[in-house]
Amino acid sequence: MIFVIAEHKDNKLRPITSELLVFGQRVARDFGQPLTAVLLGSNTAGLAAELKSDKIDRILQAEHADLAEYNPDSYVHVLQSILSRDKPFLVLMGHTTQGMDFAPRLAVRLRRPLIAGCVEYEKQGDRLILTRQIFNAKMNMKTSVRGEPPYLATASPGAFPSDEVESGNAEVAMFPVELTEAPKRKVLSRVEAPRGQMDLSSAPIIVSGGRGLKLKENFKLIFELAEAIGGSVGASRPVVDAEWLPREYQIGSSGQTVSPRLYIAVGISGAIQHLVGMQTSRCIVAINKDSEAPIFKVAHYGIVDDLFKVVPALTKIFKQLRQA
Amino acid sequence: MKVISCIKPVPDPASRLIINEAKTWIKDQELTFVASEADNYALEEALRLKEKHGGEVVVLSLGGEEAARVLRSGLAMGADRAIHLLDPKFKGSDEFAAAAALARAIQKDGSADLVLAGVQSDDLGTGMTGTMMAEFLGWAHATVVVGVEVQPDNKSLRAQRELEGGINETVELTLPAVLTIQFGINHPRYASLKGIMAAKKKEFKAWSAADLELPDNAIGRAGATYDVTEVLFPERKSRVEIISGTPEEAAANLVEKLRKEAKVI
Repeated sequence: MIFVIAEHKDNKLRPITSELLVFGQRVARDFGQPLTAVLLGSNTAGLAAELKSDKIDRILQAEHADLAEYNPDSYVHVLQSILSRDKPFLVLMGHTTQGMDFAPRLAVRLRRPLIAGCVEYEKQGDRLILTRQIFNAKMNMKTSVRGEPPYLATASPGAFPSDEVESGNAEVAMFPVELTEAPKRKVLSRVEAPRGQMDLSSAPIIVSGGRGLKLKENFKLIFELAEAIGGSVGASRPVVDAEWLPREYQIGSSGQTVSPRLYIAVGISGAIQHLVGMQTSRCIVAINKDSEAPIFKVAHYGIVDDLFKVVPALTKIFKQLRQA
Repeated sequence: MKVISCIKPVPDPASRLIINEAKTWIKDQELTFVASEADNYALEEALRLKEKHGGEVVVLSLGGEEAARVLRSGLAMGADRAIHLLDPKFKGSDEFAAAAALARAIQKDGSADLVLAGVQSDDLGTGMTGTMMAEFLGWAHATVVVGVEVQPDNKSLRAQRELEGGINETVELTLPAVLTIQFGINHPRYASLKGIMAAKKKEFKAWSAADLELPDNAIGRAGATYDVTEVLFPERKSRVEIISGTPEEAAANLVEKLRKEAKVI
């Protein structure tokens, strides 16, 4: 059996759930195994109805009042009993702030392997090879799990296409939940992190700078280019963490998601967290001296050279074009 | 309160990484190692907690000479003492085996209120070792933490977790606990000359696998839960067109293509 642990919030399935289903459906097909989707919550009927038309052999609802709000202790406890009963081959979870909050605990509880942040898999004979990214997505590492199943894995957001879920007609079953121990952690509040007024979501052109700029002062190169081209300025996370720019400039999974006509990434290596925030841009240009930088994987045009030479040259051309 | 801050040595981010002959890892013999970046934020947070609540900060690392080096830097930043898990038997640990050894060291040192680790390392980058330690210890934990506030009774704390989509979640945890600290939570200090000098006189313990009373099959490669079959640079499935020439030529060519080919400006 292949298990997918569905992720949901505010009674809605999170986008990662579709990606996990695609991952799960493909592994299930290749290994000739049935697929189960697990829903943990207090009232999961609506979510189960949403999943019912997907190609899943069984939807397993595990309901309890204490599961209304995610907490790692209850999740690990309930999943431990489900996995001990059903003994699946592979358990897929999201490489998200929720999945990676409980998956490592679950792995230790079960004394089983966890391969985190998977982007691909392959079947070598009967063996499952899971590939994940290392060194900030510069390299891939292929791994082979040891020992008996279940094997645990989290899938990197964006690695599997969410629009390729196959349709079907799933059976629905309930799992009886027993929770006696109070969780060691409880949620007090959830609020939007303070952010500025700047909205980049509708900007037609964005020039974005990253750590390759080396110093805060050098960010003026980005502002100059953006002005010459008539675009807005964005930044990668390290730039914002270093307080070169306020948080409102940040593009990526914990910042803004953008899809401009033209996105110019300068000195940005392209961590997955950044890529998910800009990869749907119509035209992406990457300027980086490291030809192995993952940003080149999503770029349409690339210049592998010193940004301190290329950017001023570009700015000069755009200024001339404007004057002409 | 007693805070243990875990530090992982990783290749200096400026290093050029080369894959080894066996294609199982990088060639790491000649590289310079530094503390993984997120671990600097964790240590800074530990030092701030000590400044506010008193107590001590202990830095903990597993590895060879490179681990000793990041521990010395931690002492120079202001940690009170260091514990170095040093044994050839630890070599080849995965996250699971490393977490088991680190958790055992935390138990052996005793009476910690809080353990901090970076949200993820700059090498494996999976962000699971801290949370695995929490499970080995049987403690509460929170991941991706951007704010910490210890409650006056020293029995619980409030942590802010940074979730997707710009949402901050505040959770309350019972102590002792493990937190994984997100980038940007603070501004890590630099070691002062005085700090570097003072570090030389601070307690620096080395513990072997035997000191931790861990069986050989639970540590290092033997304790790992998976094998690395290959490390590789990912295949470029991309559509990228690399524009060559001098910076001026490349810039001019790019503008031409953006206008005539992509038609986006």
